[in-house]
Amino acid sequence: MEYMPQHPTGEGGLCPKGNSILEVLNHKERLRYPLKRNGDDWIRISWEEALDLVAKGLGNAAKDYGARSLGFLASSRCNNEENYALQKMARLLGSPNVDNCARLCHSPTVVGLGGSLGTGAMTNNIGDLANARCVLAIGTNLAEAHPTVSRWVQKAKDNGAVIIVADPRITHTSWMADLHLRLKPGSDIDLLRGMMKVAIDEGSIDERFIADRTKGFEDLLRNLEGFTPEKASELTGVSTEEIVEAARLYSRSEASALLYSMGITQHICGTDNVRACADLALICGQIGRPGAGIWPMRGQNNVQGACDMGAMAEFYPGYRRASDPSSVDFFKTAWNAPSLPDGPGMTSTEMMDAALEGQVRAMYIIGEDPVICDPNASKTREALENLDFLVVQEIFMTPTAKLADVVLPAAAWAEKDGSYTSMERRVQWIDRAVPAPGEAREGLLIICDIARRLGLDIEYNSAAEVLEEINRTVSIYRGATRARISGIGGVAWPCPSEDHPGTEILHTGRFSSPDGRASLFAVENVPPAEEPSPEYPILLTTGRIVVHYNGGSMTRRSPSLMERDPELYVEVNPEDASSLNIVDGGMVVVSTLRGETRARARVTNVVKPGMVFMPFHYHGANLITSDARDPISKIPEYKSAACNILPAE
Amino acid sequence: MPVYVDVDRCIGCRSCEVACQRVHGGIGHIHVHFVGDFASVPIFCHHCEEASCTIACFSGALYKDGERTAFDVKKCTGCGLCSLACPYGVVWTDKIAHKCDLCEGRAEPACVATCPANALTTDYELASRRERARAARAAAKGGRR
Repeated sequence: MEYMPQHPTGEGGLCPKGNSILEVLNHKERLRYPLKRNGDDWIRISWEEALDLVAKGLGNAAKDYGARSLGFLASSRCNNEENYALQKMARLLGSPNVDNCARLCHSPTVVGLGGSLGTGAMTNNIGDLANARCVLAIGTNLAEAHPTVSRWVQKAKDNGAVIIVADPRITHTSWMADLHLRLKPGSDIDLLRGMMKVAIDEGSIDERFIADRTKGFEDLLRNLEGFTPEKASELTGVSTEEIVEAARLYSRSEASALLYSMGITQHICGTDNVRACADLALICGQIGRPGAGIWPMRGQNNVQGACDMGAMAEFYPGYRRASDPSSVDFFKTAWNAPSLPDGPGMTSTEMMDAALEGQVRAMYIIGEDPVICDPNASKTREALENLDFLVVQEIFMTPTAKLADVVLPAAAWAEKDGSYTSMERRVQWIDRAVPAPGEAREGLLIICDIARRLGLDIEYNSAAEVLEEINRTVSIYRGATRARISGIGGVAWPCPSEDHPGTEILHTGRFSSPDGRASLFAVENVPPAEEPSPEYPILLTTGRIVVHYNGGSMTRRSPSLMERDPELYVEVNPEDASSLNIVDGGMVVVSTLRGETRARARVTNVVKPGMVFMPFHYHGANLITSDARDPISKIPEYKSAACNILPAE
Repeated sequence: MPVYVDVDRCIGCRSCEVACQRVHGGIGHIHVHFVGDFASVPIFCHHCEEASCTIACFSGALYKDGERTAFDVKKCTGCGLCSLACPYGVVWTDKIAHKCDLCEGRAEPACVATCPANALTTDYELASRRERARAARAAAKGGRR
């Protein structure tokens, strides 16, 4: 394993998860053989038998209950070709129910930013952050969640940029800040509206940009009528002076970058939060130029690609709306299919509801661990147990895989060919470097074998063949050919033809909406679904820590990472700790309406009194998180629940 | 080729620790120290010009090799005098002495190559330029750093 200093974004930098990746790749618990459930035990079976069982399981459900009783979870950890093949298989079978875990992190970006700007993706590349003169990071702890991005924020700082961080907690990101706005969790829209109001009243908005390139400004003005920075201060807990200063710095700088992540998206008003971010950038004209834009910080290596490939309930590949008959017609021709389902299908969160109610009968899950990652995870477990048939394609025996009827061992990233699209829309090809352990196989070939047994016309011999089809059917990928994306740094979409250089900055001349204009949305804050109550007086929020990755099925198997953060903990303010009789390092029980979990207390001032924070990488955190959802994007409100804490016996 | 640390850049991710362990067979020589809730700083051998450890080492296992404080494992007796002599606590003894060797044989130490925040560098000019720029910016704002 060697570093890659010539990469334009990483420059050789890796986070601790990257540095310990071989411990995961070569772990002794990697799945090596197909397994079949036998009561509480597992029996090793041949690939032939496994594939037959899967085809029978999915086929029977489709025959008995209709194709819409099938649910498919693609993986934002897997490559574009696997995601493309899986959604194609689902749709050829007649099921619109295909989704991926973008649902749980950035679905509000795809629909919210997509609605505002026309494209729900990062507008500029990461390196371009160095050109910003003001960086506003709201609801993103990028120093922990995206460590390499911090080098670009620091370069901006070297060039004289001012850094504003809006986060309720003191984080490694707020260390970098010139101005840290410690807002109340769930008051993001109030803060953004306060900043907009200041910019409008002080005349630091870009009126020409608003007139030429946006629509809906009158509605926004009406929405802000009577709203004041003082009111915003009251609602957010941030002082009026700080709101005014942040607004001035952001709106008046030559180029302002707005970075956001799950602190914005994981709320019941997640989509509106994203729209409010877009509104601020648009009225200040801080978009579509070097250093000016919106950077949604995505969570997984290929979450952008999985969404691009149509592994999403609302979209066919290339963001063609599943509800639009012309998308369905296009793919009927492209795939030579007599009929395809129109959508939108069920989202991953809705599939679990449907499984509980018996409408979804069989599921095919690839590289995702909803039993750990879904909020109110006990419900997800019950839902998956309720299925007639569950097949899980994985690299480890995850808690989700343990519920399956058949477990298929898959090759990991270094063991297969394929392309990945990073959060900056950069499409890059990875060649297979090492063989997969035991009988584990490339996911794409497994999908094709199952599809063939189900009588579908999905014949690919290699990832390269799938990419050729993607080049034909997804216009933004047309020029992203294997030869071009094999070079260091690949190419950024949209890349509409082979001689197109790719697009590093979106929306420079016009927005990608049909009329070329961006839409401003007049939004108002919606309080969290669950507010602290006498029984559950403390606000629980969750998030990432630097040494672990999502559900932790990989990173919790790495000795060098576990040595550093071995167990679930909860951060408690000293004031709360003293009134609740909690000592630093002691075990506590955290309970919500949904259940309880044990965690080690960290008594610290990084959280304010009245709130606690838990990392979500360990089993337990999501047993108690809230499954209230944003009505538009269906993202659950991981960032806010009401809880109680008691010292454990 | 000493390693310069930019404390303002360190994000406390401990990637340097993991990388150091990885290239040194599981035993790392760099440690990220957290200062309350507000800062972190990687601590490791300074490769002192007049290195106390080399003076204390009677067997010649620790010696100066240009800018580097080098270590010859074959000569180490494991006596631990170096650990006592080091004023920074970055040489320790577990059967033999353990300390940063600046990743002998690699183009750059692994911690420098991989630091995602670019907080570590072997480039004196870069480190110096950053410091001067910071001081200039602070002065422009009318205050001390």
